[in-house]
Amino acid sequence: MTVATPLAFALDAPLFLLTLLVIPAGLYAIHAARARRLRSAIRMPATATLKAVVAGQPSHRRWLPIALLALTVALLSVALTRPEVTVSSPVSRSTVTLVIDSSGSMAADDVQPSRMDAVKSAAKQFVKGIPKQTRIGLVGFSDTPNVVQEPTTDRGVVQRGLDALQASGGTFTQDALDVALDAIRAEGDPSKNDGTRPPGAIVLLSDGTPQRGQDPLIPAQRAKQDHIPIYTVSLGTPQGTVTYSDGSVVEVPPNPELMRQIAQISDGESYSVADAGELKKIYESLGTRVASEAEQREITAGFAGGGLLTLALALGLGLRWRSRVA
Amino acid sequence: MSDLLIDPPGRQGPGRIGGHAVRALELALARRSDGVLPGEHRSAGLGSGTELSQLRPYVEGDDVRHLDPAASARTGEPHVRLHVPERTLTTWIALDVSASMAFGTTRRLKSDVAEGVVRVVSRLGVRRGGRVALLRWGADASATRVLPPKGGRPALGAVDRALAEGVAADRSIHTEDLAGALERLHRVARRPGLVVIASDLRDDSRWERSLSMLARQHRVIVAEVSDPREQALPDAGIVVMVDPENGDHVEVDTSSPRVREAFGRAEAERRADVAERLRRCRVQHLAVSTDGDWLRDLGRALR
Repeated sequence: MTVATPLAFALDAPLFLLTLLVIPAGLYAIHAARARRLRSAIRMPATATLKAVVAGQPSHRRWLPIALLALTVALLSVALTRPEVTVSSPVSRSTVTLVIDSSGSMAADDVQPSRMDAVKSAAKQFVKGIPKQTRIGLVGFSDTPNVVQEPTTDRGVVQRGLDALQASGGTFTQDALDVALDAIRAEGDPSKNDGTRPPGAIVLLSDGTPQRGQDPLIPAQRAKQDHIPIYTVSLGTPQGTVTYSDGSVVEVPPNPELMRQIAQISDGESYSVADAGELKKIYESLGTRVASEAEQREITAGFAGGGLLTLALALGLGLRWRSRVA
Repeated sequence: MSDLLIDPPGRQGPGRIGGHAVRALELALARRSDGVLPGEHRSAGLGSGTELSQLRPYVEGDDVRHLDPAASARTGEPHVRLHVPERTLTTWIALDVSASMAFGTTRRLKSDVAEGVVRVVSRLGVRRGGRVALLRWGADASATRVLPPKGGRPALGAVDRALAEGVAADRSIHTEDLAGALERLHRVARRPGLVVIASDLRDDSRWERSLSMLARQHRVIVAEVSDPREQALPDAGIVVMVDPENGDHVEVDTSSPRVREAFGRAEAERRADVAERLRRCRVQHLAVSTDGDWLRDLGRALR
């Protein structure tokens, strides 16, 4: 999901709106010119007949050219102020934080070649696929959320961080999400973007059940307040097992229900796949969707062009209908 | 002299009316004026006159005071002597002095032409004991004036003084319209006579009824004064035209042939409509223009 960016309209130099005063001044000038012409009017006893003849002409021939001229002035005045609109476009200032479960359960090999390797290769594919300007952070977690990488545009660092992940320890999802949220918040650049944070998203990739005492739904609520969607991807099959070094075999089923709830609360989306290929596909689609930002675009040319068009219309119609400009 | 009237700029006067070249015309006019004198109009009742009509034998019912002693003695039979009943003709002149009369683009203003018509009619009117009265209307109501019927030089002097005062200033308010003037004339002109109206007939009032009532009692001649520029626009680009009477103004592009043609058509229709209304009122319509010989037109109409 992209962060909703309302279309906003702003003027870069609003003082130039004072040139709108040309309109009343022009209308006054036209009025004064009429009064002047009236002073030098020709006496004509047959004026009543003449008036009836002229009244047969449609009245818009009198006011339309003048209205178009006023519109021209208005459009050119607005063009002088260099108007900008805010549009949502896929650009630089977005941050995606990968939150990757590296707990012991990720060592299960129910996904080929193993859960951990599937995650790593898919994450690398994701990192490769998304726009260059998007900053990518990485949080690998097990017993503690160890921030492997602050958000950066350096892809090499992220790749190396992914390589360094080792599957061992517990699953402290809540703490990891908190750290990821804080990292995205820290990305905010108020001076450049009206105090709002650049759009960010979290991709949580985990096989599910967190450690006792961990409630990932709490950071999910926070993420919703901050408009940071959390995309969750659960992986693994119910048959997944981990063989510990002491020889004991433990069943590690995934918990897709919890992952779905996290995504739902934070306005993200949830995927439950046990296939590395599909994982890649999801990452790829995420890559194109999370990275969008409000961009201010100058639309002076449109106003100037519209002004020239109405000016040409006003002159043409005025000369054709009344043999004068105004 | 009323300050409600002005001497319009460009006033030329009606042109020469008298003089050597006009003497023949004077005679012609005199003859024509006979046509309007009452001898050819049956006047009401018998009257005493100076001109012998006939001597004829007395028949029962004749007034015995009309017995002619000489004829009765000569023939041995009673004869009565009858005279042509003679009436002095009263000529009522209704002169339009509205601001639109101060307009003219050729030889003279419309008011000059109207002045000439009034001068000639008043000179003819005072002949043979006739009397002339003048009703001046179209200006501010307080400048409206009725000169009562007078004869001889005093009448001509009064008419000339009234003419010299000029016409109404532009945008006079509370002006008397033609219908009002005709009603007033109908009230004061009790005896049958001649009514001459000199106006441009650019009047919105409904004057047909008053005029036809007037025409039932009097011989009425309406001299419609016009100017060629009122009937056709010249190609003069964009101009603002203003109505001298009510200040209405209109901006018009006279370089457009369509506008000029539409104006000419509308104005021709208006004049045709006026002529038709005059015809229905059974009055004599005389059109005089500022660019034509108004004197000849007037003479033809009086014939």
